[in-house]
Amino acid sequence: MLKLRSSGLSCGVCANFQIPIPRCFMNSITTSSIDVKPKVPLYLRPPSFSASLSELTKWHKWAKNLASSVGSSFINLDNGPDSTLLRRELNWLLQDLIELQHRSVILSRLESGNNENPDVSVALRAPLEEMYCVWRQRIEKRRPFQYVVGCEHWRDLVLSVQEGVLIPRPETEVIIDLVEGVALNNVPELAQGFWADLGTGSGAIAIATARALATHAHGDACGRVIATDLSPVAVAVATSNVQRYGLQDVVEVRKGSWFEPLKDVQGKLAGVLSNPPYIPSGDISGLQAEVGQHEPILALDGGISGTNDLLHLIDGVASMLKPGGFFAFETNGEKQCKFLVEYIENEKPGSFRDMNIVSDFAGIQRFVMGFRR
Amino acid sequence: MSYFIFKRSSNGSFCISQYIRTKTRAFSSLHPLDNFLDSNQNSKVFDPGCSSILHNSLKKPFGSFSFLPSSSLLGSQNQHSLRLNRKGWICAREFGSQAAIEPCTSDGLTVDGIASSKWTILEESESDWKSHAAAIAQSIQVIKRRLQWKKLMVRLDLLSAELNKPDLWNDPVHAGKISREHGSLMGKMKEVKAFEQELLEHIDMIKLAREEDDTELESESMKALLRMRRDSKDKELEALLAGEHDSCSCYIEVQAGAGGTESMDWAAMVMQMYKTWAQRRGYGVTVVDEMPGEIAGIKRATIKVDGEYAFGYAKAEVGVHRLVRISPFDSGKRRHTSFAAVAVIPILGDGSSRVQINESDLRIERFRAGGAGGQHVNTTESAVRIVHIPTGVTATCQNERSQHQNKASAMAVLQSRLDQLEMARQAQMNSQHTQSLTEISWGNQIRTYVLHPYRLVKDLRTNYEVSDPDSVLEGDLDSFILSYLSASLDKGEGEQ
Repeated sequence: MLKLRSSGLSCGVCANFQIPIPRCFMNSITTSSIDVKPKVPLYLRPPSFSASLSELTKWHKWAKNLASSVGSSFINLDNGPDSTLLRRELNWLLQDLIELQHRSVILSRLESGNNENPDVSVALRAPLEEMYCVWRQRIEKRRPFQYVVGCEHWRDLVLSVQEGVLIPRPETEVIIDLVEGVALNNVPELAQGFWADLGTGSGAIAIATARALATHAHGDACGRVIATDLSPVAVAVATSNVQRYGLQDVVEVRKGSWFEPLKDVQGKLAGVLSNPPYIPSGDISGLQAEVGQHEPILALDGGISGTNDLLHLIDGVASMLKPGGFFAFETNGEKQCKFLVEYIENEKPGSFRDMNIVSDFAGIQRFVMGFRR
Repeated sequence: MSYFIFKRSSNGSFCISQYIRTKTRAFSSLHPLDNFLDSNQNSKVFDPGCSSILHNSLKKPFGSFSFLPSSSLLGSQNQHSLRLNRKGWICAREFGSQAAIEPCTSDGLTVDGIASSKWTILEESESDWKSHAAAIAQSIQVIKRRLQWKKLMVRLDLLSAELNKPDLWNDPVHAGKISREHGSLMGKMKEVKAFEQELLEHIDMIKLAREEDDTELESESMKALLRMRRDSKDKELEALLAGEHDSCSCYIEVQAGAGGTESMDWAAMVMQMYKTWAQRRGYGVTVVDEMPGEIAGIKRATIKVDGEYAFGYAKAEVGVHRLVRISPFDSGKRRHTSFAAVAVIPILGDGSSRVQINESDLRIERFRAGGAGGQHVNTTESAVRIVHIPTGVTATCQNERSQHQNKASAMAVLQSRLDQLEMARQAQMNSQHTQSLTEISWGNQIRTYVLHPYRLVKDLRTNYEVSDPDSVLEGDLDSFILSYLSASLDKGEGEQ
């Protein structure tokens, strides 16, 4: 069925039906599928649907009321989104839905409640029926907004995401700041080497790193990035994101677990980056609904203490990096950071220099980084 | 009256050679005629048949200190003027020691005269020459105020005198400077003069056409006058928006005053007013930061307004806006007074000198930090707040979809705020510009919007008022803005 789905038009339309009945598509991708076809994010679909302004206004009002009905109940429940945030998401959904040319006019019309020309037709990138369906999923099923629109804005990128792929977090943006500010500024020749993003998911770190390497490169010798992931959905989505940014010659996506697909570059890597699963298993059940019920557990669950994969990465990274190579890993917070630094000092004495713990913007100690000696 | 007119069928405009369209006033009998002219201006070649014959003689009244070697040329020109002035509208007007020639119509009407006669200015569509003429005269006066006309004239006299000194070119650098300034001021002056002249000519033509019952000529002249009216409006705007940063894009920031939901609702109304105003003007509008109120409205919001002269217009809105109405949030249906403060910050171009920001002076905060963060949380909330520690200036952005972009937007806002702070500091050092300091400071109540018990919007600075608050709140702000800009020109003139 996945193969039958046309990727360009109307992702909500199931090919089994002859009539285009919008269908709520949720968690429909199975990880066993080899040939995964990535979904096209809403904002990249052709504006081949339309609705009258009054129909759109009606939907908008309905959606706004649904958002407002939430109040702060999700916050109280599991620190989820409140009405204000949901209404902002609704504006973004509209931005992605309405074809660019008339977007600002239509949006200001909706905002001001202007009722002139209700019959004017608005070009949309998805049928309005589907919009009723997905917004209900957003509110009632707590389906993450990023899956609803099929993309996440991350740094200066817009990355396709879909069920089965971890939605990149704003905290993780800092890893790229570390690559640029710490690694490339201090050791410029690293910009020419091979870098690895392990457990790449949507390809966020790999793509942003490739772009950072290009801006720091001197002459033609630009570095390359290898992105690995165990999940076939992640591999498919990352590959399509890499292609959308025209980086297929710079970023190579390989399927496999952590260092497994990297045997050919052992000891040669200029940098290793990763945002591995780090949530302790016991915390999974209490997660915010958007995360716990919708995002891939494979990308979240880090074992009993949450450090299974982080330790695996630290054990392997010394032999993967060339001398002077850089690493940065995201962690669950202060406790894991301190534990990892201690682990490195005790178990890998003399392997690394300039080890550091770096906080995210919220002030939580989030990253462990250092250079191979 | 003898005249004949060549019509140029190709463009429909008139070409007049021997018609007394304009009289020349002000021959002070005490001054020899030579004194009206100065050698710098005499180099212009006459072109009989061109409508600007008279301009040439009229544009030269400012060289009273000059002595003129080329009297033969002057002689012929004077004859020309005198011949044209055979009807004899001669009157004298003194500017100190100088004599000036004030152009006027055949019946003695001057531009100042038109402006002071207070003819009603009707819509452009009304074909009424007096209305057109009054509108044009008004614009010309604004343009002259902007140029600081009287000072300009004095300066021109000085420069002309300087230029006529025989030893001027002993110092070529100085001479070059003087000559350039003279040329530039002369250009400005001539442009206005020519414009005045054209107005008077058209008026004469209309009067003449009526006398001669020439409807075709009358309607042609009326059209020409209308064209001038539109043109003069543009020129007036150009003159009003001649401030250093007027052409910049800008941020508009609205902050609710004390008073809870009612004033937050008012702040949202004010912000909406600016959004529609900016959109109608064709500016790009982006919400940078918006802090919604708990029940309705906004606590504060910042929008970015992209486009030419956005700052020039919007700066007229800086200050406190007051609303009087029966609050929809008051179950007792009582009348409430609410306030919203508006700040406008120019976004300086790359060419301007901008404040250097040290990364180490910044504290970057993520809003709503709470909980474990990272993989635990899926939120589209990625607001960023940046504090510039040395000044305490902050900027927040939460409407971009990535934290990185929010940070970039907040940095842009912060940069503009610091630039503005620096501008204010420099203005303070330079007492001449104290006025601009009050312009950007908060706390001045500038406008009142009354929805009950009567309906009125009144600008407290200019006393400009309209009785239709709805249209104003829907973004119909231009007349308020223009009347303020024009009034602040007067103020500037008065101070100098």
